[in-house]
Amino acid sequence: MNKLKCLEKSKCNFTNILLVLNALSLGCWCVLLLLFVSVASAGRDVDSGSNDTGRNPAPEDSHHQTNSTHHKKAFPVLSFNFDHVRKPFEISLWILLALLMKLGFHIIPRVSHVVPESCLLIVVGLLVGGIIKAFDEDAPVQMLDSKFFFLYLLPPIILDAGYFLPMRPFTENLGTILVFAVVGTLWNAFFIGLTMYGVCQIEAVKLGRVDLLSCLLFGSIVSAVDPVAVLAVFEEIHINELLHILVFGESLLNDAVTVVLYHLFTEFSHKGTVTVADAFLGVVSFFVVSLGGILIGAIYGIIGAFTSRFTSHSRVIEPLFVFLYSYMAYLSAEVFHLSGIMSLIACGVVMRPYVEANISHKSYTTIKYFLKMWSSVSETLIFIFLGVSTVAQPHPWNWTFVVVTVVVCFVSRVLGVVSLTYIINKFRIVKLTKKDQFIVAYGGLRGAIAFSLGFLLPDNEMKQLFLTAIITVIFYTVFVQGMTIRPLVELLAVKKKKESKGSINEEIHTQFLDHLLTGIEDICGHYGHHHWKDKLNRFNKAYVKKWLITGERSTEPQLISFYNKMEMKQAMMLVESGSAAKLPTIMTPVSMQNIQPKEPLKRRAIPSISKSREQEIRKMLRGNLQKTRQRLRSYSRHDLMVDPFEEDVSEVRLRKQRVEMERRVSSNSAANKQSQPWISKQQLGKDNNIP
Amino acid sequence: MGSRASTLLREEEIEEIKKETGFSHSQITRLYSRFTSLDKGENGTLSREDFQRIPELAINPLGDRIINAFFPEGEDQVNFRGFMRTLAHFRPIEDNEKNKNSSASEPLNSRTNKLLFAFRLYDLDRDDKISRDELLQVLRMMVGVNISDEQLGSIADRTIQEADTNGDNSISFNEFIKVPPVDGEQDY
Repeated sequence: MNKLKCLEKSKCNFTNILLVLNALSLGCWCVLLLLFVSVASAGRDVDSGSNDTGRNPAPEDSHHQTNSTHHKKAFPVLSFNFDHVRKPFEISLWILLALLMKLGFHIIPRVSHVVPESCLLIVVGLLVGGIIKAFDEDAPVQMLDSKFFFLYLLPPIILDAGYFLPMRPFTENLGTILVFAVVGTLWNAFFIGLTMYGVCQIEAVKLGRVDLLSCLLFGSIVSAVDPVAVLAVFEEIHINELLHILVFGESLLNDAVTVVLYHLFTEFSHKGTVTVADAFLGVVSFFVVSLGGILIGAIYGIIGAFTSRFTSHSRVIEPLFVFLYSYMAYLSAEVFHLSGIMSLIACGVVMRPYVEANISHKSYTTIKYFLKMWSSVSETLIFIFLGVSTVAQPHPWNWTFVVVTVVVCFVSRVLGVVSLTYIINKFRIVKLTKKDQFIVAYGGLRGAIAFSLGFLLPDNEMKQLFLTAIITVIFYTVFVQGMTIRPLVELLAVKKKKESKGSINEEIHTQFLDHLLTGIEDICGHYGHHHWKDKLNRFNKAYVKKWLITGERSTEPQLISFYNKMEMKQAMMLVESGSAAKLPTIMTPVSMQNIQPKEPLKRRAIPSISKSREQEIRKMLRGNLQKTRQRLRSYSRHDLMVDPFEEDVSEVRLRKQRVEMERRVSSNSAANKQSQPWISKQQLGKDNNIP
Repeated sequence: MGSRASTLLREEEIEEIKKETGFSHSQITRLYSRFTSLDKGENGTLSREDFQRIPELAINPLGDRIINAFFPEGEDQVNFRGFMRTLAHFRPIEDNEKNKNSSASEPLNSRTNKLLFAFRLYDLDRDDKISRDELLQVLRMMVGVNISDEQLGSIADRTIQEADTNGDNSISFNEFIKVPPVDGEQDY
């Protein structure tokens, strides 16, 4: 037995090594192609004309050429025109590299368990950047330029986060999250800025040129917790829901603060002097930025929900509405310099319950998978580009400045979290323990947003130094804190996420407790959390749902839709595991009458067989009998073909209902009945029919 | 318990209530003023009609059951002590209480007692089991009138199926406790 295990292990290892080699070699090919591309682009200026003959020939030139080349060159069967596809080719190559790396990491289990994926991706980025730099000093390796990052790479991640935001824990902890996001970030920014200014004033550091506003600007950039990094690291450690939503919610909501502070300090450093009125305007602009962003997002969300009400005839394009409305919300907010992130999240949150009630199940799956796919690709690309861009910068290194920055960041985060928790705990019911505080403080990771914002800084002498410091902080938090947070979580025995399967029991219990607590609150005259939530729910049910949800589902209570969802899930699981055939197909006319009063007539008359059986039968007939002419269904590219999977699913549900009906009928007749006033006539009638 | 005397809350009474329920002084006085504002008849006790006068409680699906929970068996009036005793179930568990010695009787707001309170709201006939019919009643109250009996029946069946471990087709208190607790248990 041991020998077998040994052999298997070595074979396993060998296969593993082979796979890794494959992935690496593919990766190398990609890199080589990329190099070739960058070299070609660098050399493009030199030999510009040779490849462009096909595109814009000056008439006499070509005439001249054809005349002169008439006898020299034959018709080119194979020609090389790379510039034509250069940009999309590069982009595809980068994405391919990112995805191959992602694949490769999971093949080596030991490494990926210790080191979080984000770190590995940064290292890969460093390597690739180094290789490109080595081949060609001037190649434009600045990938993380701000327009590209903010407009294309960031939105998918935020939309994915916002659309699937767990609403219950978020709203329950909203106060805490807001305090951390707003007050915490402000504290961080000012503390870091002022400390760095103080450090710069010290003679020995030789940085006396740095003025207060630049330091404050630097502080505001570096203080914000980054949602991308938090997501990347926290997802792998499966921490309990409360901590996850605290850190993650904070990273999302502090965008407004960051935007305001950034613009504020940039404006001030242009103007030179700061008055009280300016400070006051700054506070006002904070409210405008955050509330305005949320408002824009909510408007787009409602429009999106309303649109989805009418999509029942073109199911194929439903997911696109969700994506486009959300993206437009983000862009519109960016137009007015409002907080794009908050707008995106508001749009996703507002749209989701109504859209999900309206769209088909396939569209729901599509949305889910596309969002996950895009956000995954974006995240991978961001980390790789972070590595690449690091190599691209010249790095003026000033030990004191950088080291002090890192230390001060950490210190200010800890101080901020501890003191804020002390205040918050006076208002919270479920207090935050010391362990929680530690994780919240330790989980304050900085990431690519800080880097991109730093890149937008005006080009003065301090910019490179600031960028270096920012990169160092990012590397420190992602590498050191990211790698050590998992063993620390284990060490401190922090509660992990409980794997709950969403039972109907929980849902009933939750709603029950909601009603109970609302009632008690009303008795006490205390207008707390439950009271307002209840009012919002009533308003939602009475007015909003009617407008935004099609047909019958607008009046469906939450419990019923939850139940239906669960039944659907279970039916699908049964179909997938192939045990659908095991359910007995007892059909008595009485039970069928009782449960299917709305079903069309033909279901009762014809014994239903599955689609695959039908196809088998047809194949048999076709093979053995004369060629029967099959009526072709009119084919259109835009129609979704009837899916045998979905038919099976609905059939399984039917069968299950029938079986349960049978069981209940038999158990009712067996158990002794007390007089129960609410037995419906149908049930009484049924009982009489049992022989 | 003359009608005039009981409208003023005496210090000794406050102390007793504090010991029994664990509320603080200010909380007790606040709840007392709420009690008197609800007590329209000014006789020191609340009747069912006083509760039903609260508008939000009328539209709460569980309103009637909650009101019933305040009144002990067979009685129609509840005085301030009884009022506080029921409300004490909803006080959050303080840290310093966790260290109390176990010889003292379990405080009113312990987790078990809270769950027992919720359980009793389901279980009307007090047989310590939530039968399928009791569950159906609660579901019907929460869901409204538009859903057919069969659909509710299948939900109830599924719920019992999930929670029932000893196969008696009803949910006992022990099985009820095992449903994972939700954060919303506490108030205040």
